[in-house]
Amino acid sequence: MSDTPAAPDDDGPDPRSAQTVDAKLLEILVCPLTHGPLRYDRARQELISDQAGLAYPVRDGIPIMLVDEARALDAPDADS
Amino acid sequence: MGDGIEVFDQGAVRRHRERAAAGLGEHDFLLVEVAERLADRLSDVKRRFPFALDLGCHRGEFGRALAGRGGIETLIHCDPSPAMVAHAPGPRLAAAEDRLPFRAPAFDLVTSVLSLHWANDLPGALIQIARCLRPDGLLLAALLGGETLGDLRRALVEAELAERGGASPRVSPFADIGDLGGLLQRAGLAMPVVDADTITVTYPDAFALMADLRGMGESNAVADRVRHFTPRSVLAAAAAAYGAQHGDADGRIPARFQVLYLTAWKPHESQPRALRPGSAEASLAETLEPGAHSRQGHKRV
Repeated sequence: MSDTPAAPDDDGPDPRSAQTVDAKLLEILVCPLTHGPLRYDRARQELISDQAGLAYPVRDGIPIMLVDEARALDAPDADS
Repeated sequence: MGDGIEVFDQGAVRRHRERAAAGLGEHDFLLVEVAERLADRLSDVKRRFPFALDLGCHRGEFGRALAGRGGIETLIHCDPSPAMVAHAPGPRLAAAEDRLPFRAPAFDLVTSVLSLHWANDLPGALIQIARCLRPDGLLLAALLGGETLGDLRRALVEAELAERGGASPRVSPFADIGDLGGLLQRAGLAMPVVDADTITVTYPDAFALMADLRGMGESNAVADRVRHFTPRSVLAAAAAAYGAQHGDADGRIPARFQVLYLTAWKPHESQPRALRPGSAEASLAETLEPGAHSRQGHKRV
């Protein structure tokens, strides 16, 4: 039931990775499902598509824009 | 789940890549070779592409092969596997080829090295790529073609027929060169060019070849494959037959990878374009043989 941890160091991602999304990348990102705008929740490290009702995780500064990895917004919050 | 036919099990495609990510460096020969060839093609284009996307980037082999060529200021790395893209240099993201999360239009250039043959919906993926290209933007992609590993496929089918009395798809189907030009045009891209070359790699035996395919994350992901392990007896029979038919004097076997290269442009008014049929102002016959075939009363506007 609980969300799987991001497993940041199981296969050695680039240690120089910034923990926030690259600004140029952020500028061009939209929801892959609706092509609508995204809100960047820096505290939770999520990109939120209000239109789709989905929150896409950001792991180690890498947006995971995969629909099956996204959290449904009306679903109970796994983190808290 | 979907309405359409799912050729590839996308979960399996991603799992194969996730599993291959950490050890890819030992199996990236083909990837690096094709990345180099694609980078050479890009440096032949006398243009600058400040903002670029590498789609299905694996661990960033194309960016490394490019080594600063192509006038690229920003190269966004994108792969369906989060573990794979975590090894690529920054700005990077995970996304599926047929569900691209980019504002349109965003890029001067979209590249892809050995990835688009996994898209379930290649026409859809090309439409999405065309959508996020800027006018006069370039798509430059390399993918595996239909003649890839034909000998291995035949050996596996024959061995399975002999051992089990039936055969299942063991190596994924690939696109054919003849289909791709039309797909590019239907995606709304102009001046499409498709060509192919073959890269032959030799292996000690068929097992080493199959281990390398797994290491590249290129294992079979055909959705309707039989979901049990291929019996060792079938693999052994296939390996023996493959070695006997194709082995060289030292007992090594060749594996032939057909690589298809796609080039196409997002339309822009500066590009050359064919005129409408019937809009010509001079007769072709007259140009070729002045006077000989000129018809009476040839209409000129």
